[in-house]
Amino acid sequence: MDEQLPYAGITVVELADDPAGERVGKLLADLGATVLKLEPPEGVTSRRTGPFVQGREGDPDASLAFWTYNTGKQSIVVEPSQRAATVTELARTADVLLTTAVPRELATEDWSHDQLREENPALVVLSVTPYGLTGPWADRRTSELVGLALGGTLNSCGYDDHSIPPVLPGGNQTYEMAASFAHIGLLLALVERQATGRGQLVDVSMHEANAVSGELANPYWFYPRAIVKRQTNRHAQPVPTQSATFRCADGVYVYFALILSEPRAWRTLVDWMTDHELAADLTEPAYDDVAYRQQNFSHVQGLVEVFFLLMDSETAYHEGQRRGLPIGPLRGLEDLPEDEHLRERGFFVEVEVDDTPATLPGVPYRTSAFTAVPGPPPRLGEHTAEVLADAVAR
Amino acid sequence: MTTQQAEQAQPGRTPGQRQGPLSHIRVADFCWMGVGSVATRLLADFGAQVIKIEDRNRLDTPRRLPIYKGDLRSYGDEDANPDPDKGGLFNNYCRNKLGVTINMKSDSGRALAERLISSSSVVTENFAPGVMERWGLTYDRLRELREDVIFARMSGYGHSGPHHEYRSYGPVIQAVSGMSFISGLPDREPSGWGLSYMDNQAAYYNSAALLMAIFHRQRTGQGMEVDASAVEIGISLLGPDLLDTLVNQRPSRRPGFPRGNRSAHEDVAPHGVYPTAGEDQWVAITVADDAEWQRLVAAMGRPAWADEQRFATGTSRREHEDDLDKLMSGWTSGLGKHAITELLQAASVTAGAVQDPRDLDEVDPQIAARGTFFDLDHPVIGPARFEGTPISFSETVQENWRSAPLLGEDNHYVFGEVLGLSETELAELEAEGAI
Repeated sequence: MDEQLPYAGITVVELADDPAGERVGKLLADLGATVLKLEPPEGVTSRRTGPFVQGREGDPDASLAFWTYNTGKQSIVVEPSQRAATVTELARTADVLLTTAVPRELATEDWSHDQLREENPALVVLSVTPYGLTGPWADRRTSELVGLALGGTLNSCGYDDHSIPPVLPGGNQTYEMAASFAHIGLLLALVERQATGRGQLVDVSMHEANAVSGELANPYWFYPRAIVKRQTNRHAQPVPTQSATFRCADGVYVYFALILSEPRAWRTLVDWMTDHELAADLTEPAYDDVAYRQQNFSHVQGLVEVFFLLMDSETAYHEGQRRGLPIGPLRGLEDLPEDEHLRERGFFVEVEVDDTPATLPGVPYRTSAFTAVPGPPPRLGEHTAEVLADAVAR
Repeated sequence: MTTQQAEQAQPGRTPGQRQGPLSHIRVADFCWMGVGSVATRLLADFGAQVIKIEDRNRLDTPRRLPIYKGDLRSYGDEDANPDPDKGGLFNNYCRNKLGVTINMKSDSGRALAERLISSSSVVTENFAPGVMERWGLTYDRLRELREDVIFARMSGYGHSGPHHEYRSYGPVIQAVSGMSFISGLPDREPSGWGLSYMDNQAAYYNSAALLMAIFHRQRTGQGMEVDASAVEIGISLLGPDLLDTLVNQRPSRRPGFPRGNRSAHEDVAPHGVYPTAGEDQWVAITVADDAEWQRLVAAMGRPAWADEQRFATGTSRREHEDDLDKLMSGWTSGLGKHAITELLQAASVTAGAVQDPRDLDEVDPQIAARGTFFDLDHPVIGPARFEGTPISFSETVQENWRSAPLLGEDNHYVFGEVLGLSETELAELEAEGAI
């Protein structure tokens, strides 16, 4: 079978300096695009933020933030005085220009989206910015925490105790939401270009990406006019619900939503507890009645708490799942490479970075048509000579 | 209301030629629940004829979830026999799609589904593993029906591996992928996620996979089967902390981790969420460097404490962050969250109110200016607001032509006009309960 990667032959000029833009570039590179990442002589921000490979603190080639978002790209260092000429030159033959600059930053450049698109009508300009290129907030500042706050996600996240402020979920998710929509927006533009031959400006707003991603939060407002309130590690809802996390013998929590109204799930749980001789009075016929179960919810919850407290989280996970219950341990990051399922699927991959093998998460798509694996993140300026020589030769 | 009455009540619900880059694509859409429905909604928004295949005997959960106008209930408080056309979440997830019903337990139902697949070029599903196989709808079979078919399979764990039959939904995915553990205050139970974040992200990654497969087929002529696992998508979104563990062997179970609202960087403070005027109202403020700190101090009116030596540099602010946060809270708690946002952003300080959905809908001028939300009428629900696509295109059009289909609303159009069944054949299928 012809194993052409989906973005083979697509050239992307990347002027991205935040995790949103860099993530899209990574996805494109991992899936076959040639991504030319233009960097200032000191490198992009993510080369300086770390965490760093131990013993290489401050080394721009050893920032794990950079590695996270920049696998498989080519790094081209461009002096500020040469930036406009290089962008203009490379964009003339590229398929995509990926940029994270906001309007006030674009105004300082000696090139514009319109000019590049005029010179190359097939070019797709993929702009990924905190608020979008238009509107009263277009030039405002953002960060991971502020982005999630304004976008609405943070309102749903935190603890039952509301003297504690809403709490930031981990992993740069504000930027990830923008990146996901940027990937989608680019693909729509590329599919449209297949029919028309023309590129366009795709203007992705991180703020809007957050604002449409609240799951139940917006529908609860749009329909019954209710505001959801945060609850520890379970769905924010207009009204409080019972805890859905249980501490196990090994100190690890499992997520398990005890839904009393489903007779089958109830029987499965009681059978499971019975097998461990921990069902106590839950086997009594009165509990066959959902109303009785609901009346005695705190008693049930107490017994379930004890049940989980007496088994370790991996046992709870696999025994529960084998019985058909949707249950999952709150895994720490160190648990992930050990997972037998992920191992068998070969999700984590070894990538040679600077002659040292590093374990990285793989590309989360498996298809019958191609197998995509991330390439190494580039050293600062690793491809400068080669790419600029090619550009001159053109 | 019958379909015919609905059409009379609401002209414009009759399907026709769509606009948008996907208007040449027909999708036989077996998706349900959250992930699949959101993934295929994107295709429907941009012109694809997405034919949502439903089972009258097993309603799609968003049709049952009690998110109703004028009737506030929690997520778990369902009617025993809900009106399938009243659910707001279903409306939100299924706008711009066509809706048909097929009873896949019946032979003629399955034959009809195969006929629909033959006239489509994309097939999507997010059932528990084994359901499509039970109906004989494997990739091999689909290729017999349509050689260059795209078959998108969206699941929690993927379709191979020892746990591929495990059951999951958003919160389980978030737990198993590590997403929940890395979210919370140090040394206590993780706070995790207050939503099925991974339903959204898995949906978005699956929308992209579908578009990628369409793009690829239009370049190469080759279809494909896509197996996307939400757990794997979740792990890929964990960020630099994951590599700190994988490369540096630094465990995530360690004192001080996760970091709550504090920065990962030892010289960044303040970086927090602070109380404001009003009950349970908050503002997020993050200061990246000393210059931004000085702008913040000026914007706060230069309170005496802010000039203390211990707050002079990022590193020392970080050392005294507990005190700093208390003092910051003292300043913020007297003011409104939107007022603080305006004041600080005007001073080039990174700040933003913790907005709730009402703020997004009624206060936020950026959402209003960009037209992020839009309205469509629905025959049972009435006018409703929808979450749009957070992208402005200079060329590509998003055509919002109709709210979500009533149960079986498009049976006659799809089975009659698209597949060419006669009225008699349709009546027979109805009589035997196949549609």
